[in-house]
Amino acid sequence: MGFREHAAPVRRILGIVLGLLLIGGVLYVALQGQDRPESTATKTVRGVIGSEKSEFFRDPDVVKALAAKGYIVKTETSGSWAMDQLALKEFDFAFPGSSEPAKEVAAAAGLKGAQETRPFYSPLVVIARPGAAQVLATGGLATMTGKNSGTLLMGPFLKAAAEDRTWQQLAGSSAHAELTGTVFVKTTDPASSNSGALFLAATSNVANGSTVVADDAGIERTAPLMRKLISVQGALETSTDDPFRAFISGSGEPLILVYESQVASLLLQKQDPGEMVVLYPDTTVNTAHTFVPLSEDAKELGTLLATDPKLRELAVLRGFRPQDGVAEFTAATAPHAGYLNPGLAGIRQVGTPTVKILMALAQRAKG
Amino acid sequence: MSAAGRVRAAAQAAPRPPRPRRRRVRTALALTLAVLTAATACTSGEPAGPAETAYQEGTLRVLASSELADMEPVLEQARKATGVTVKLTWSGTLDAAEQVASGQADGRYDAIWLSSNDYLRLRPEAAGKLSSETPVMSSPVALGVKPEALARLGWKPGEVTWPAVHEAVAAGRLTYGMTDPVRSNSGFSALVSVASGLSGAQAALSDADVKAATPRLKEFFTGQKLTSGSSGWLATAYGRRGDVDALVNYESVLLSMNRDAKDGGAPLTVVRPRDGVVTAHYPLTLLASAPAGARDAGRALTDWLRGPEAQRAITGQTFRRPVAAGVAPAAGLDQEKRRELPFPGSRVVADGLLASYENELRRPSRTVYVLDTSGSMSDEDRIGRLRSALTDLTGTGTSGTGRRFRDREEVTLLPFGSKVKEVNTHVVEPGNPGPALDAIRRDVKSLEPDGGTAIYGSLEAAYEQLGKGGTDAFTSIVLMTDGENTEGVGAKHFDSFYAKLPEAQKRTPVFAVLFGDSDRKELTRITELTGGRLFDATGGTSALAGAFEEIRGYQ
Repeated sequence: MGFREHAAPVRRILGIVLGLLLIGGVLYVALQGQDRPESTATKTVRGVIGSEKSEFFRDPDVVKALAAKGYIVKTETSGSWAMDQLALKEFDFAFPGSSEPAKEVAAAAGLKGAQETRPFYSPLVVIARPGAAQVLATGGLATMTGKNSGTLLMGPFLKAAAEDRTWQQLAGSSAHAELTGTVFVKTTDPASSNSGALFLAATSNVANGSTVVADDAGIERTAPLMRKLISVQGALETSTDDPFRAFISGSGEPLILVYESQVASLLLQKQDPGEMVVLYPDTTVNTAHTFVPLSEDAKELGTLLATDPKLRELAVLRGFRPQDGVAEFTAATAPHAGYLNPGLAGIRQVGTPTVKILMALAQRAKG
Repeated sequence: MSAAGRVRAAAQAAPRPPRPRRRRVRTALALTLAVLTAATACTSGEPAGPAETAYQEGTLRVLASSELADMEPVLEQARKATGVTVKLTWSGTLDAAEQVASGQADGRYDAIWLSSNDYLRLRPEAAGKLSSETPVMSSPVALGVKPEALARLGWKPGEVTWPAVHEAVAAGRLTYGMTDPVRSNSGFSALVSVASGLSGAQAALSDADVKAATPRLKEFFTGQKLTSGSSGWLATAYGRRGDVDALVNYESVLLSMNRDAKDGGAPLTVVRPRDGVVTAHYPLTLLASAPAGARDAGRALTDWLRGPEAQRAITGQTFRRPVAAGVAPAAGLDQEKRRELPFPGSRVVADGLLASYENELRRPSRTVYVLDTSGSMSDEDRIGRLRSALTDLTGTGTSGTGRRFRDREEVTLLPFGSKVKEVNTHVVEPGNPGPALDAIRRDVKSLEPDGGTAIYGSLEAAYEQLGKGGTDAFTSIVLMTDGENTEGVGAKHFDSFYAKLPEAQKRTPVFAVLFGDSDRKELTRITELTGGRLFDATGGTSALAGAFEEIRGYQ
């Protein structure tokens, strides 16, 4: 009622405010123009990115921040390790999930000495529902560090995989209808997708006596186990978005490999993750999302993403860890510490095998 | 009938590809005519006119699973919100995989929207063809069981397992309808589920698992009384039959049927077997070959579809499960978790499973082709097109699964003019299909146009022919005519002939093919009377082959 009574004056005031805003906007734009005359020519750049960064680039605030710097960025997603097969001529940049496929993309595009940048990264985690996490913990395959977080113990987990352990053989599983069949982590296709490939990088390291697989002997040693990890899964997707969305929709496998950023983004956007436990594998690979400029237009964009304070802040809001930004990430995720492990406490970070070795492992694993 | 009313209307009215306007689509939806043209026109691989192939700004050409017809209202909302119009062309999963992998889809479609890309991904050629894949919503393949069957079996919905379903079928206590796994993803998913469940496989299916489960799978498929090339028509046929206890279909389709059941038709109880399900995630997938503008439009569309407004509309209107955090699934979607059964990881296993289903596991087919070889078939080389369309069905030495008459299938060719000219029956021998297929090819080659058009008398002869054989088979009649009935008995005679058929025989549907100058009304009447479906083969020289191929899913 109150509103209706005052409808006319309110409308008038609104009109004035809007008018002022409009003038302000025009002034702002004009001033901006004076400020940076060379960057006002807006460039539209088209990039191919790993799907895990899709929400970052779709974020309206990111779009705005990029526009303020003169960029309209259009992105398409692809498995990071399949990007080199795309018609790269159509893109101004590629932004795979780690440094190794970046090299392949640069080679496929015929670039030498491209100015790569690593604006942010995100470790891989395994998400589970509380029941599954509890059963793993009881069975000695994981430890819980809180109600919604824990550590996946790669040694015992890989031993269980080698023995084709099923959920039924783990105590406490019978209370959960979905916990039957072989225990495995649902990954993406290691031959085309970054997260799947990095899972092999980490597990092969453990299986190779905590050493990066670097030769045929190492491949021979680890391939049988890699095959067990991958072939049990059946059809493999090319992006973590698929299994992650399956989890959100209430279906999907009990253990799913995703980027920490996918979980952190949900939490920071205040979206309910539902019943979720985040397990950090105790061995993870140390590699960052790598920006590869393919055309002149996108040359500076990587550096901008890495250094612009506003874009760094927005990257954190989408769950990423900016370059040298543990403190920023820790501060922003403090309210959600129950799910996350910002300092990666107790996690061993290892190097990745070369592309050639990793792809050989992926082929053997899928074999 | 009424239970399936809405689903039928939605899923069967395939909009023809060249008609993007929503109003037209609506009109098409209003018709209950079971006409299929779109997929037929696409499979045939003939070049369409430039107007219908080129990308038009803001209109996304999408090759889609037919059950997505229920997304029309949501897509209309999407159009208002994003300015992107979606033009859907229906296709089965395997067929779409073939089109994408072979490159036929390039330039013709901008995106694909199938229940799953799992099968497509088994084709290595597809790797470079797909761009962004965005899962939009999910629905598991479930079993819809009539309450009285549930009571009779003493089942608690939350406790039922695939072995329990098998046991009930083997004991003759449960019958069901399911789509053809070779043509429809819900059937394929069910086949994977039941093979997993009955083999006791703990991980992705292997050839050994399938072999081990074969005897029980065979028993399981004795209970399949209805088959279909699409999920939508299956629901219609189920409503018509009344004597089938259960339906294998997407949870979303089953719940929609329940919602749309008028006059209090008893709702089906949706059972998600406790030992696992296969879930469709509907990834809207842009094709790498699409022009940049189309990919931008696709991105705008997927962004919107993944937003909370769309996700709420989707789950509320279609009973699919949302994939966005914070959006609650519609009421009626049970939240208890289920194991996700792995889809086979290799093409060898997937195709092997399909081939066993086709040639070994399923009940065999008995099929009569009632073929108009009247004088007018010499016009425009119609007879040539008929010969080539039929010859296609005999396959080649290397035909893939579903590309030729099945092992154990009884195929009868019944050419007619002023009267039935011949009745030639051939049975495809398992392990030695060559002789029967050769014989069919010879018969086809000798078809000659001559005489008038005795449609009804020939149909009666077809029913009589099927009446002579065993009943434990999927029986069907394909009627291909290029004109109206001019000789022999008329429609009234056929009506009373049909009315006097034994119940079991009445279940044999007539699949009629609209061709040349045939009368749509006359053929529609026949398909409605017999519970069949009309296929339109008037759209171009290879449309007849496309229609014949499509009908295979229903036989």
